[in-house]
Amino acid sequence: MSLLEIKNVDISYGKNLTVKNCNLNLEKGEICSIVGESGSGKTTVIRAVMGLLPGAGRVSAGDIIYDGTDLLKLTRKQWRSLRGHDISMIFQDSGAMMNQTRLIGDSYVEYIQTHEDISKQDAWAKGIEMIERMRLPDGDRIMRSYPFQLSGGQRQRVGIAMGMTYQPKLLLADEPTSALDVTTQAQIVRQFMELRDEYGTSIIIVTHNLGVAAYMGDKIVVMKRGEVVDQGEREYILHRSTNPYTKLLLDAVPTLGGKRYV
Amino acid sequence: MFDEKDLLIDARHVTRRFPTNDGRLLTACDDINLKFYKGKTLGLVGESGCGKSTFMRFLVWLDSPTEGEIFFHGKDITKMKGAELHENRQHIQMVFQDPSTSFNPKMKIKEIVCEPLLNFNRISRSEVDAKARELLELVELPGDFADRYPHNMSGGQRQRVAIARAIALEPEFIVMDEATSALDVSVQKTVIELITRLQREKNIAIGFICHDLGLIESFAHQVAVMYLGNIVEVMPGEGLSDVCCHPYSRALLASVFDTKMDFTKKIENIKGEPPSPLDLPPGCPFSNRCPNCTERCMQEKPKLVEIGPGHEVACHMFTK
Repeated sequence: MSLLEIKNVDISYGKNLTVKNCNLNLEKGEICSIVGESGSGKTTVIRAVMGLLPGAGRVSAGDIIYDGTDLLKLTRKQWRSLRGHDISMIFQDSGAMMNQTRLIGDSYVEYIQTHEDISKQDAWAKGIEMIERMRLPDGDRIMRSYPFQLSGGQRQRVGIAMGMTYQPKLLLADEPTSALDVTTQAQIVRQFMELRDEYGTSIIIVTHNLGVAAYMGDKIVVMKRGEVVDQGEREYILHRSTNPYTKLLLDAVPTLGGKRYV
Repeated sequence: MFDEKDLLIDARHVTRRFPTNDGRLLTACDDINLKFYKGKTLGLVGESGCGKSTFMRFLVWLDSPTEGEIFFHGKDITKMKGAELHENRQHIQMVFQDPSTSFNPKMKIKEIVCEPLLNFNRISRSEVDAKARELLELVELPGDFADRYPHNMSGGQRQRVAIARAIALEPEFIVMDEATSALDVSVQKTVIELITRLQREKNIAIGFICHDLGLIESFAHQVAVMYLGNIVEVMPGEGLSDVCCHPYSRALLASVFDTKMDFTKKIENIKGEPPSPLDLPPGCPFSNRCPNCTERCMQEKPKLVEIGPGHEVACHMFTK
């Protein structure tokens, strides 16, 4: 059985049908990349999986089955134990999801204590351990910093550390590297791959960087204007797909030693 | 490899230091020497905070260096004032990274693209409509967009308007600060095609700030790599991935993801993050992250030396 099944899902914001008939299967330990231009509905899909559609957004048709349970029928209480424990999400800028006026450690401890009956000291120590596991030196100093005192790459690592605290089975990443420099991006991508190898985490990564999508994804889903126009194994999408939109996107990616315009 | 008579801008020993609140000095640009040639593109690459934008801002008089000279047609632009400065501003224009924040939201597109022309009395008010249409068509936008506002357009269209505004005065030099990084890749491709076409037609020199080596390789004539305020390598744009040899440039290159790479290979990366520019290492700026760092690198700062035609590198590995 697949870990996650998205079946014939429609998502609407108010009366606007934003995502039409989306289907996706994810096995345990598999990485799926969703690519597409801005406004194609990539983020909407993974937000629906997390039950975090903003405003009037709702899933208007279809099912999202996670590990045998229908996510759309969960109560608030069931959601709360699932989110951040079995399913985690990493945002484009993890600094923005934290309270700017509180220490990172305080936010982290609050998160740990929501999911576990644990003393503040133990939660703090657990936070440090996770942060250091993400290769950030001096976890205690990070815990005692405010989000704005860290660089983009450091903040993103803290976000990943938080998301990975309970070794979720499913990790959703929304453009986790687009705000970063290329060198930091390479470090973060490498860390994602190691998470999969070490913990068998399944990952859905939403990105507009086709290079990253191709490197990470076992499977690639191409979206355009709210519809999945093409999907398949990486090798199929990159080399055998005949879909004109997929070809157009791939053709636009600058490659080293590729086409020159001058 | 470039003809010296085509030399347009010559920056010599440009240094910029910012005083900090606690009385120390932050060196954002350290002794930068770069040459820009007519009709050619120079790509400036490096990580955030390495000083690329700080340097480019000198060329458009948004800031001035603490030391050094920048010659434009033989005159030092850092010392220009008053009427002379006003006169010269029309030869150098700029395109910013985010077109949604570089326009006045209350101005119509025709007012935006024609404002520089009106400022320099090149056209009269009654000519605005026709001129705006002409400029928009030059950047492959429908002329009817002239009566729109910036919020009615997509990011790619807005960036085209920004390019139209920059070329309105027919400048000799345009600074583009990450002009395509806010765009989708398919849109980025069309904008790059537009930029290179305009460059060919109008013989414009471009200073392009970028952090994507794959992109810069596709259209730059020369590429300068910057690290912590220092130029560490200058090389020809064509075949960049074969000739680049500074360990930092190699690391940047290894961090590029493209769709034709070998996916089974683990991605190489350099450890850590650049040190604070307030706290520079005494020797080579890259010494604390460099895989080939030696005793000499820790103490002595390498200078740029020529190792091939149009190819200079600042690294002790290449000096005897």
